[in-house]
Amino acid sequence: MRRKVLLRSSWLPYVLIAPAVAVLVALSIYPLIYSITVSLQVGEAWGLGNFTRLASDGFFLTAMAHTFVYAVAALTCEFLLGLGLALLLNNQIRGRGFFRATLLVPMMLPPVVAAVVWRLMLNPNFGAINGTLKQIGIDTESLTWTASPGLAMLSVIAVDVWQWTPFVFLVLLAGLQAIPQEPYEAALIDGSSRWQTFRHVTLPLLKPAILIVLLLRTMDLLRVFDQIFLLTEGGPGFATETISLYIYRTAFRFFDFGYAAAMSFVLLALTNVISVVYIRFLKHESRA
Amino acid sequence: MSRALKYFLVVVALVAALAPVYWMFTISLKSEVDHFALPPPWFNFTPTLEHYFEAFVARSFGQYLITSAIVAVISTLCALVLGTLAAYALARFRLPYDLDRRLSLWILSTRMFPAIVTAVPLFLMMRDLRLLDTKASLIIVYTAFNLPFVVWMMRGFFDEVPRDLEEAALVDGDSRLGALVRVVLPLVAPGLAATAVFCLIVSWNEFLFALVLTQTDASMTLPVGIAGRVTQYEIKWGVMSAAGAVAIVPILVFAMAMQKYLVRGLSLGAVKG
Repeated sequence: MRRKVLLRSSWLPYVLIAPAVAVLVALSIYPLIYSITVSLQVGEAWGLGNFTRLASDGFFLTAMAHTFVYAVAALTCEFLLGLGLALLLNNQIRGRGFFRATLLVPMMLPPVVAAVVWRLMLNPNFGAINGTLKQIGIDTESLTWTASPGLAMLSVIAVDVWQWTPFVFLVLLAGLQAIPQEPYEAALIDGSSRWQTFRHVTLPLLKPAILIVLLLRTMDLLRVFDQIFLLTEGGPGFATETISLYIYRTAFRFFDFGYAAAMSFVLLALTNVISVVYIRFLKHESRA
Repeated sequence: MSRALKYFLVVVALVAALAPVYWMFTISLKSEVDHFALPPPWFNFTPTLEHYFEAFVARSFGQYLITSAIVAVISTLCALVLGTLAAYALARFRLPYDLDRRLSLWILSTRMFPAIVTAVPLFLMMRDLRLLDTKASLIIVYTAFNLPFVVWMMRGFFDEVPRDLEEAALVDGDSRLGALVRVVLPLVAPGLAATAVFCLIVSWNEFLFALVLTQTDASMTLPVGIAGRVTQYEIKWGVMSAAGAVAIVPILVFAMAMQKYLVRGLSLGAVKG
């Protein structure tokens, strides 16, 4: 019966899929190809000039370094805090639904609103943070946060941690709740300690969820643009300029589209390589 | 760990998550004199709506708000129609050469491109098409941006509908599309609604493409409108906070309405929540 149905409508799936594929080809694949041609043009001539320029561009290398610092620091904090919260709320405690719903608020905010919120919090003159510090007698003269070269990077990382820890928490909590009870009962019978149970039962069973959440966060962190653009515009000076911001500046402030396109391919290659590594791990996990 | 300590930690997390947002609300409701008061007043100040009037009546934030809503709704509808049809085909038909699985993965992979990578060529394309600074350019880009997400989510929801139901409808003489509309769609309606809400939120929040593709009040969305004030020399904190507070409202309503599907949506269906 099913075979007959499939045969009779063999043209139908293609008709249904074609519009979506057409849109994606026109707006995802074609732009990439267009971008390649743009990146291969230096002035009127064709060449690899935009790519060879990358290696000697100190700003590009610094922006790359900033991106890695930002990604590694934020990922570490978000993962540890998110895991801790998930373990905390995985136990039966009253009002878990309410806590979960409330913790969602930061990550649902439009990035621009999150930036406004933190500009207000971190404002040296009337921000709640310095205001509170002054109240308890701490000298806040030098604590200008996003305006200070030393603290700007720390500030933007903290804002990312604030906004995205809830996401890590949510995914890990869902992962924890999908773990069946039996292995825990077995561990209890074996008399294993809390740490042993966590290390040998929880962690291995949670690994797929951990890998997925790390993959998604890593991708987002490497391409970070909105929060930093809105909080510091990459400054003061160049202190918080990440690769996406440098590409934006090159394209839309200096109108050097070729060089911007070349840099964007480096970013694309980087995110691709990292996602392939994660997906390898994931596949390995699901087979094991 | 004692119970009390547990609750204490949870409350700390809640305060950390919410206090900054609450602070913005207070700024939006305080008169300018109160902004600089020390110690910072969290609760005792005289609320005023002056900043809201200034933002949405005297300045163009009302217009940005309408543009944001138009762009979000139309692009969501387009993505839903195109994406649901494709998802249905990918969930129900086995295509030769493993094409259904490969197409699904390819569609998902288009979503993984960093936005800045496509922003540069899309700007140039829209410039060539003379679509810069129009709502149409944003609708087109957001449709394409949300499409992979719709396909991926809806494919998962279709997979959960037993085939027997459709086959019964087919035996009863319905066409494939008739079975889709009359039998399958009602069953996946909650999933469809959740997917729609996700697309609405993504479009509503989106910043980079809107920044690149719009220039004037005619096509600016609310995030770009607010950002324009953030980076200006003299900053009207009250006005900005009021606009920010209004920008949050639809998000909060939507997020609460579809909490159940949130994890699944945010992890692109990889973890079922």
